[in-house]
Amino acid sequence: MSKNKSGIWSFFSSVKLAIVFLSLIAFFALIGTLVPQREAAGALAERISPALFSFLQQMQVFDLYHSVWFFLLSGLLAVNLMICSVDRFPLAWRRFRIRPAPQNENAFKYLPEKNTFKIRADIHQAADTAVALLRKHYGDVARADEDGSVFLCSGKGRFSLFGVYIVHLSILLLIAGAIIGSVFGVEGYVNITEGEEVSAIHLRDNHQALPLPFSVRCDRFIVEFYENGAPKTFQSDLVFLKNGKMLQSGKLRVNHPIEVEGFRFYQASYGAAPGGKATLALRRDGGGRDVMNVSAGYIFELPGKEGTFQVLRVEENLMKMGPAVKVAVRSAGKEEAVFWVFQQIDQIRKISPDIFEQVPVFNPGLFRPYTFVLLGLEEKYYTGLQVNRDPGTPLVAVAALFLIGGLMLILFFYARQVWIRMDQEKDQLHIRIAGQSYKNKAGLEREVQYLLCELKDNLERSK
Amino acid sequence: MINTAILSWVTFIYFAAFVFYLFRMILGREFWGKLATGVALAGLVAQSVALIIRWKTSYALGMGHAPLSNFYESLIFFAWTIVLLYLLMERRLKNRSIGVFVLPVAFLIMAYASIAPGINNRIEPLIPALQSNWLTSHVLTCFMGYAAFTVAFALGMMFFVKTSAGGDLSKASVFIRLLPSEYQMDELMYSSAALGFIFLTLGIVTGSVWAHYAWGSYWSWDPKETWSLITWLTYAVMLHARLVRGWRGKRMAIMAIVGFGCVLFTYLGVNLLPSLHSYMT
Ligand code: HEM
Repeated sequence: MSKNKSGIWSFFSSVKLAIVFLSLIAFFALIGTLVPQREAAGALAERISPALFSFLQQMQVFDLYHSVWFFLLSGLLAVNLMICSVDRFPLAWRRFRIRPAPQNENAFKYLPEKNTFKIRADIHQAADTAVALLRKHYGDVARADEDGSVFLCSGKGRFSLFGVYIVHLSILLLIAGAIIGSVFGVEGYVNITEGEEVSAIHLRDNHQALPLPFSVRCDRFIVEFYENGAPKTFQSDLVFLKNGKMLQSGKLRVNHPIEVEGFRFYQASYGAAPGGKATLALRRDGGGRDVMNVSAGYIFELPGKEGTFQVLRVEENLMKMGPAVKVAVRSAGKEEAVFWVFQQIDQIRKISPDIFEQVPVFNPGLFRPYTFVLLGLEEKYYTGLQVNRDPGTPLVAVAALFLIGGLMLILFFYARQVWIRMDQEKDQLHIRIAGQSYKNKAGLEREVQYLLCELKDNLERSK
Repeated sequence: MINTAILSWVTFIYFAAFVFYLFRMILGREFWGKLATGVALAGLVAQSVALIIRWKTSYALGMGHAPLSNFYESLIFFAWTIVLLYLLMERRLKNRSIGVFVLPVAFLIMAYASIAPGINNRIEPLIPALQSNWLTSHVLTCFMGYAAFTVAFALGMMFFVKTSAGGDLSKASVFIRLLPSEYQMDELMYSSAALGFIFLTLGIVTGSVWAHYAWGSYWSWDPKETWSLITWLTYAVMLHARLVRGWRGKRMAIMAIVGFGCVLFTYLGVNLLPSLHSYMT
């Protein structure tokens, strides 16, 4: 394959190109952190000319990470990586396959003096000692005996030659997984008020509704606080239903998502739900008091049968004056009376004592002889859920494992080869040790020295 | 609290260690070097004790989390990993001249943690998003990576100090002569950057797993994530340029310094950028 070097092939197998692509992607990412993206881009629209804004929008500058440019760049990097790996793999394979011969003139050609020593010993015994030593540290030993000489060779860590390819493969998987995720994935959100059920979510990028193949009910939302006021727990009690039957139920908390039919639900936010219930008391001058739970739209008869009243609105915080309920009282022959009933009416009157004269619709006693009192609002929350489906995630997870495994192989293992050569010179044995490694020459140097010392020790001890 | 008191002492201890390393480099007496190593080691032990006390205190206060949960704790841990990594390296290489470039970084980080305005050194309970075991492994691996990049950066600076003194070592000051050879510095720079790269990779992966559980997607392009990717790509370029294009020496030193700039920006600078991603909007 590597023989087929057309122009395009050699262009794409170049590591210079890889450096250019990696730098470009880094630069691209940098631009994305400076130019406001997605929702944030709206603020920029007010500051630059509309023509420029729409041009930039056309160029997908405001969604760089999902733009055609980014896909293109990732795609080109992937092609570069594939071709480069295909181009070089045969070399790694050959390095992996070859079992070097014990006789290796080249390895000993420029051998430094410190990699040799002389000792009085029997060559066959010494060879056996050396074989045992190599076997202990490396594994299989190749041996060749000649007249007055012995050649030994052993090695380890060949598999680490594939580390780079595993890392590069993992990058390809990562790109594939990310593309699958952004093409087929769904990113959405939904708010559910306690007690309600929904069967659709909103998409994050265009806010359109997406129906779910099931429905979700939130029975309860709980928020707990620490003493210092920081939130401690958010929890939604969810029930997932399909065709009226319960699929699943669970307590959804931050960091503990729930997955249903490929959709993952995450606790993302919460808030007070509008339109909750209110507790209203009704006092008749010189008479009794009625208490009732109301919500917008409810119609009641007045206790003295003078007419009816209707609850028009329930507000959490009207004009920053706290909870309030808007009421309309109707009776035959009289004009309709519409007014607000505040919960904190006493404080409001303390601040502006003549508020009822100035703003009659704030007077809860506008319809004589009744006075309305708002005792409180029923707290009701909505839970904000993030809903995602990302079919690329398993691939990305595998890629992450490959990436880490491959890097470990590269960093912690080396393919090393050592040769020992023994020559009988008169009454002495001349022993030389050479090593070869594609990386980390300093480490190899140290390893050869250790080997030398250990062999010397063993030989001296066996004398 | 006792732990913060110890930690402010550690700041001074690291400063002292730096001064002793400097004495060694200027006076050329190994006595100062040994003293510096001893002092740095004492500082590291004291800091470890403080971290353990802080950890235990958080349990006593009923919060129970590793001391890695806010900006103050991350700075302290950053300094701790830098000194740890440096001392391991010193032991292995039997060379003390890198200390004079590394210890000041650790000292500055500790000082910043104690005196910068708006840094809260109290032990605080964890908000829900941080209540995850992935937090610990994420912060641990990221800062191991940052520490290795810091060492590479220090070597890069050393490289320029050495080359600016010119080639003739016999005329150079003791300081220059005590620095490792350019070849050694280049090798060490590469090893540190490669070690940092694998830890940063682990940091990004554990962070993604955490984000997958907490935010609902393993990657959301928020500025911090994006800058960690930029940093990662910068070091990937550095490794390739060396392994395949044969870059050595000065170019590697430049890459080590640029890469460290990215690390700092990922860590501190992104707070200046508008974040699209905040919890509880
Ligand atoms: C984000 C993408 C990439 C990552 C994370 C990555 C990672 C790595 C790592 C960690 C090494 C070091 C291996 C070692 O220390 O022995 C390496 C080596 C290498 N990379 Fe990449 N790489 C990437 C992209 C590419 C691309 C696009 C090419 C395409 C040309 C490429 C070509 C090479 C080559 C030729 C080597 C040297 C292999 C050897 O030493 O035999 N890399 N890569």
